[in-house]
Amino acid sequence: MNSAFFLNQQFELWIDSSNRERKIVVLIVLCEAQNNKNNKEFVSYFESLFLNSKSGNNRIPDIIRKEIRTSRTGHSTFLKTLFEIDHLSYAPPKTNKENFLILKDISFSVQEGEFIALVGANGSGKTTLARHLNALLIPTRGNVLVNGINSRNQQFRNQIRAAVGMVFQQPEDQIMATIIEEDIAFGPENLCRLPTVIREQVDEALAVVNLLENRYRQSHLLSAGQMQRVALAGVLAMQPRCIILDEATAMLDPKGRKDILARMEALNRMGITVIFITHFMEEVLLAQRALLLHQGKLIFDGKPHTLFSDDALLDAGCLEKPAAVRFFQCFPALFPGIDNPVLERNKLFDSIAPCKVKFTDLSEETYLPKQTNPSEIEIRDLSHTYMAGTPLAHLSIKNITMEVQKNVPHGLIGATGSGKSTLLQHLNGLYRPQHGTVRVGPFDLNAADLDVKSLRRYAGMVFQNPESYFFEQYVGDEIAFGPRQIFGTQNLREKVKWAMDLVGLDFLTYKDQIVSTLSGGEKRKTALAATLAMSPSLLILDEPTAGLDPHSRKNFLKMLSHLQAEGIQMVISSHNMEDITEAVQNVTVLSEGMSMKTVPVEKIFADPSFLSKTGMESPVAWQLAQALRNQGWPISPKSITIQSIIDETNAAINRENDESI
Amino acid sequence: MNQFDFLQKATIGQYIPTESLLHRMDPRAKIIGLGLLLFAVTFSSSRIGILIGLAAAIIGLLAAKIPIQFALKGLIPPLPFLLLIALIQILLMPGGGEQILFSVGPLKVYLANVLTSLLMILRFCVLILLLSLMTFCISSSELIHGLQQILSPLHRLRIPTMDLIMVIQITLRFLPFLAQSAEKIAKAQASRGAEWGTKNRGLISRIRQIIPLIIPLFLTSLKRAETMALAMDARAYGFKPYRTSMFEYAFRLRDGVFLLVTLFVSIAVFCL
Repeated sequence: MNSAFFLNQQFELWIDSSNRERKIVVLIVLCEAQNNKNNKEFVSYFESLFLNSKSGNNRIPDIIRKEIRTSRTGHSTFLKTLFEIDHLSYAPPKTNKENFLILKDISFSVQEGEFIALVGANGSGKTTLARHLNALLIPTRGNVLVNGINSRNQQFRNQIRAAVGMVFQQPEDQIMATIIEEDIAFGPENLCRLPTVIREQVDEALAVVNLLENRYRQSHLLSAGQMQRVALAGVLAMQPRCIILDEATAMLDPKGRKDILARMEALNRMGITVIFITHFMEEVLLAQRALLLHQGKLIFDGKPHTLFSDDALLDAGCLEKPAAVRFFQCFPALFPGIDNPVLERNKLFDSIAPCKVKFTDLSEETYLPKQTNPSEIEIRDLSHTYMAGTPLAHLSIKNITMEVQKNVPHGLIGATGSGKSTLLQHLNGLYRPQHGTVRVGPFDLNAADLDVKSLRRYAGMVFQNPESYFFEQYVGDEIAFGPRQIFGTQNLREKVKWAMDLVGLDFLTYKDQIVSTLSGGEKRKTALAATLAMSPSLLILDEPTAGLDPHSRKNFLKMLSHLQAEGIQMVISSHNMEDITEAVQNVTVLSEGMSMKTVPVEKIFADPSFLSKTGMESPVAWQLAQALRNQGWPISPKSITIQSIIDETNAAINRENDESI
Repeated sequence: MNQFDFLQKATIGQYIPTESLLHRMDPRAKIIGLGLLLFAVTFSSSRIGILIGLAAAIIGLLAAKIPIQFALKGLIPPLPFLLLIALIQILLMPGGGEQILFSVGPLKVYLANVLTSLLMILRFCVLILLLSLMTFCISSSELIHGLQQILSPLHRLRIPTMDLIMVIQITLRFLPFLAQSAEKIAKAQASRGAEWGTKNRGLISRIRQIIPLIIPLFLTSLKRAETMALAMDARAYGFKPYRTSMFEYAFRLRDGVFLLVTLFVSIAVFCL
């Protein structure tokens, strides 16, 4: 039979059929028949059919567009409701129900195939909500229906778990087995599938996350990004219809993040519903729909574009605008032909209008070499081997040479496993140089009679996620631990007060607060104060903003620059390139345990091939500045934060207007 | 060596993938075979038997391509305790034999006691070597799957073997976790002026420095256990009383031969 004729016939059936089920069956036949055809061709074909049809409706319904998209992968889904959340409230068991509600009266529904970002401040209830979606938590009031099954129904809970997979924040906490392929088999094994089926599903899942060569490796030997991919594969092997990612990219380096995001998008294209929790506003742009939680209430449900146009809402939800959107909203006239910066983000930078006036004086400003300060930290040829002398020995860093100038905040970037943490731990004497020399301020770490305690006081170190190491009940005691060890009880109160003032925690309000009741940002500040209370001259920070919501992060960075102004030298390692551009002046790039180069931060992103080789990525603000420069806008090479770019563009537009008058 | 590398101090309990013949053996055969040897060495009363056991352990290590020196390192930490026990045994055991080797004051040292003490040390050394051999060549997953299949008959008697095996698996997964957390916490404390890795003072101050370590260690471990339990729950663990396995082991001729050989050696150890 002629295929066009066949399709036509089917289409007539579709039009005539009044029964919805029947329509859908016909639609599947149509779509399957077109599986090999190009999507666009098919849509236009459909549209022509519509034009010719008796009904005369010449717009192709969105439903059918969606059908076509999802059915091409064989997973035919027809706008079926996957989740129905109906007046959901939740309080932890054994608490006073009215006062401890974490979620308050939330209602929304999710269709299959959607791509949703769930956002909100630290502690707003995002994780709690996500855990209701696969029946890990059961509502106190209200109902959660997954695929029509109520999550209160114990008997069908395994079906819910099989249909809705969950990836957690910490990659290593969710891996059960020591060998990768066995971990991926864990889910299907629990569902009692046959060994041959399991092997097939494991192979498939490994292929999707691109880890086939690593299947026999031990899980703890992988990088964090790879581990998160294993976790994703472990969920995929159960063949879920929906995947929930609970801040799954928070602990990853730029490359790992990009990778997971790309997988998420690919899975969504395959028809799998994706719901992800994130603090990165750039990631929210990828979603079709955003849900914003604020103190347990759902205060926004709609398109990301709408969310980012509403300043009051963003403020309430402790969010910020993505750099590109913010710039667009400041200067919409610069982007002719773009109405929606979210949907059209891919061509946003290409559409920038050229600058009408030639600015010769500004743009060719010669780059003044920075005055070189005496060096504060000097590292020469440093190498370190873990587990030396055993068959498991591995070289962590080799031949690192770097210099940190006095009073110049210094950044350290590199992929996970590039040796950043090992290097940082040399700076306050947790590791002593096995090979090479290290000098920190007045301390020579190679000296046999090194006063380690004074060194650790001099170079205060704040670890990644410092709040998980708290051991005192009250904020004041926690902060007092360090100075008590070093200076004794004399003037202890003043030292604690001084440190708390520095980080912006009010002494009287906070000193008797219980640590576990603080918000994420306050905990981070407490940890910083605990180190500052020893009055260090040098502050070493490992991933200082990981896991903070945009507002807390902004606050924290502001406080860091304030500390720098107070004369406390910073050394910061971070995966977040925005942090780096905002908080430091010089950057050292590490790659596979070697120091690649140390340069001023505004030069680091100039070489894209170097960046991708080291697993880094230039921040959006920098890409924007580059695009503006290409169109002749006088953006000086020094401006790398979005605020300074906006200021310079403003100045340029003003001059443009002046000259045209 | 660094004072923070807690994991490095234990040689026992590490799987070393060398791809030797022993590594490629059916896990059930390895567990049963080496288990038999352990049993025989523990209860053997003859010197020759234990020497045969020692030879078997060394041959096993050679066959598994493990550097002998590395395996011997595992003997060093318990050695002082063994020597102490042996010394107590020599000095305090009532005279078993006639031959007195020498006497110090009122204490008489009998030859027979010396010999039994030496035998005890040797027995422990062989046991340690065999146990490390087991961990060197049986990966944790092989151990889990092997045990699962060996114990599967018990499942029919409604003994919850699956849960038992999962407990073993999680324990194995958690040990490195604990060591890593302890390391991180000790470092964080040291950075805040605690006495880690500087100098050791009296007993009380040493106990006091443990408290800031123990509390976060418990908290992080509990939190981790909670997330892991959630992650297991999220992947539908425990909805059916049994699980299937992705592996189907085939018991081959060489596994049978290995079992027979270990059986003979065990009998020799026990009876000679």
